[in-house]
Amino acid sequence: MSISTSKETFPTKKMILLNSFKNIKQIIDTLQKGGLVIFPCETVYGAAVDSSNEVAVKKLNRYKERPFGKPYAIMCSSQKMAEKYVRLNETAKNIYKTFLPGPVTVVSVGLHKVAPGIESETGTLGIRIPDYKLMLNLLKKFGRPIVATSANASYRKRPYKISDIFDNISNKQKELIDLVIDAGKLPKNEPSTVIDTTLDDLAILRQGEIKLKDKNEVLSRSEENTQNVAKELWQKYDSYKGKRAIIFALEGEMGAGKTIFTKGLAKTMGITELVTSPTYSLENRYSILDTGHSLAHIDAWRMEKSDELNALGFSSLIKNRSVVAIEWAERVADEIRKFDDEAIIIWVKIKNPSTSSGRNANERLISWGIEK
Amino acid sequence: MKILSIDTSCDETAAAVTEGTKILSNTIWSQASAHAKFGGVMPSLARRMHEERIDFVVEKALSTSHQSLVTNIDAIAVTVGPGLSIALGVGVSKAKELAIKYKKKLIAVNHLEGHILSPLANNEYPVSSIKYPSLGLVVSGGNTILVKINKIGSYETLAQTTDDALGEALDKAARMLGLGYPGGAVLEKMSRLGDVKKYKLPIPILGQESRRIFTYSGLKTAMSRLVESEKPLTKEKIQNLAASFQDVAFAHIIRVLRFVVTNHQLPITNHLLVGGGVVANVELRKRLRKLGKEFGISVCFPYSNKLTGDNAAMIGVVAYFKFQRKEFVDPSKIDRNPNLKA
Repeated sequence: MSISTSKETFPTKKMILLNSFKNIKQIIDTLQKGGLVIFPCETVYGAAVDSSNEVAVKKLNRYKERPFGKPYAIMCSSQKMAEKYVRLNETAKNIYKTFLPGPVTVVSVGLHKVAPGIESETGTLGIRIPDYKLMLNLLKKFGRPIVATSANASYRKRPYKISDIFDNISNKQKELIDLVIDAGKLPKNEPSTVIDTTLDDLAILRQGEIKLKDKNEVLSRSEENTQNVAKELWQKYDSYKGKRAIIFALEGEMGAGKTIFTKGLAKTMGITELVTSPTYSLENRYSILDTGHSLAHIDAWRMEKSDELNALGFSSLIKNRSVVAIEWAERVADEIRKFDDEAIIIWVKIKNPSTSSGRNANERLISWGIEK
Repeated sequence: MKILSIDTSCDETAAAVTEGTKILSNTIWSQASAHAKFGGVMPSLARRMHEERIDFVVEKALSTSHQSLVTNIDAIAVTVGPGLSIALGVGVSKAKELAIKYKKKLIAVNHLEGHILSPLANNEYPVSSIKYPSLGLVVSGGNTILVKINKIGSYETLAQTTDDALGEALDKAARMLGLGYPGGAVLEKMSRLGDVKKYKLPIPILGQESRRIFTYSGLKTAMSRLVESEKPLTKEKIQNLAASFQDVAFAHIIRVLRFVVTNHQLPITNHLLVGGGVVANVELRKRLRKLGKEFGISVCFPYSNKLTGDNAAMIGVVAYFKFQRKEFVDPSKIDRNPNLKA
């Protein structure tokens, strides 16, 4: 362990310089007083402040020159400590078990027990348990999480040695640093990976299973087959076109073929445009020029609340008697149901009959009907 | 000549001031809960959040660049599509309002053209050095598209995705592996520690690259089956599965590119400009560079990852060329165009 930077890069008088975690009391003391600490970890050099101190978090903001709205992660010593600050779902628990401690930051729903400015604007919080004994020991002694981020200013070089930091920050930034723990040159590991588990809270648990009144079922053996099922379904209901809105509420796991189904629907409706996945943009709209009809292709996968469907103008789609295909419809089932009188709602479930191993990977069990 | 640009196509509220291709400021208010992601919109936030932030972000872009709307800015540019309609609307009406209030020229920009020309930002690749025709590739969460660049402002689509975008496919694979969503960036990290040979996934449209499409639906199905059969997942399995998926997803892109380069009767292609969030993936960059070397094509990436994700600086770069061509729009006629193509 050596001090790897030249003297002139340390301009501030008050800055404490340590070359180990030995004087743990001094480090804790600095954190408790709202100080900003530069520390080594298994990834890169980090900058840390007390997670319960709002003023300290603001200081970290000034140091990092972060893009606005970007949340921080906190560092905990154990899952037990983490669970005081976030709610862990199944996905999160699995990741803790598989990857922590280690260079992974797990984002969960926050319990709002940290200082303002740490959690994201949607109330989520990232947690990291470092695979670095000295740091874990410090966290245990400190008794609560620290806000930790890589010590470089945003978009600057990743800091593997102290000079990587000091050569790239302004004097103003340097003056914000209260204590530096210099462990020399760190091995070149990547910064921690962020895993967001918050979209895996199954909305379907709130909505309940959708039970169909009449059971229509068919085995599709290919993508073309699935498109043909869409065509047949359309022919069954197209007499309502222009009279009432027609909703195809699509249910099925990732890769089941919901977009493939919609492609078939679009084709048979006479849409020539290329139909692609709406996951990213939430909604794609296709119009049939000669008839003036349109197909709205919506993805509800990211919708946390049913009423978010309305933010996309769902009710006006219904009013305009549009044709709507909604992927992940079970997530917004209660909002769709509200239009039971005004619209024809056809629930379509696409399943992977995966239990029968060795079968054609393209086989799908497609069932449809009106809800009971 | 200085341009103020605005982009609200996704969930970042972005504004920038550019002078030519030089970036004077590039302000992004990110809603991302994760540090690295390919994006997508959170519906609960989209419009309201953009509305709340747009003034602040525009103000910040101006103050950071020490420019004043009244005296220094020559034109205002805004993304009109593709993107989520309600989100785009916020940027478009702000740009319109400012253009009318300050009597500035207004320029409508296609977000995809922004990604295509992002390598030119900050003179990383000087405009004068680009020879035509060249190729442009956008690999992001919302788009995967390959175009022929006849000259700046004139593009022809050579191949595009028929289902998922590359970034989206990577995000979804990560989700299948229990790595949350969006997890494309996580998948990349996991891949580095994995063995690509442990599993065999099918390369999409293998041998049929002449169809000139990108498609991930079949690969996604195969992946979901494979993941099911490998449960319970261990750390090693996750790493190997991630590596296999990424390997095949990229192999597909490269194979289609190779087909286009060798068979599309292009006269010698000079440059390949690559933009979009997935450009941050080191392995993809490596493979693209390798392909470039093989065919004597210079592969150009944006100078910083701040230019790969959604941002307004790239919109400013496009607007600069449009300004030179005097392609302005009437503020009373500008409208968003969510389904805009390249």
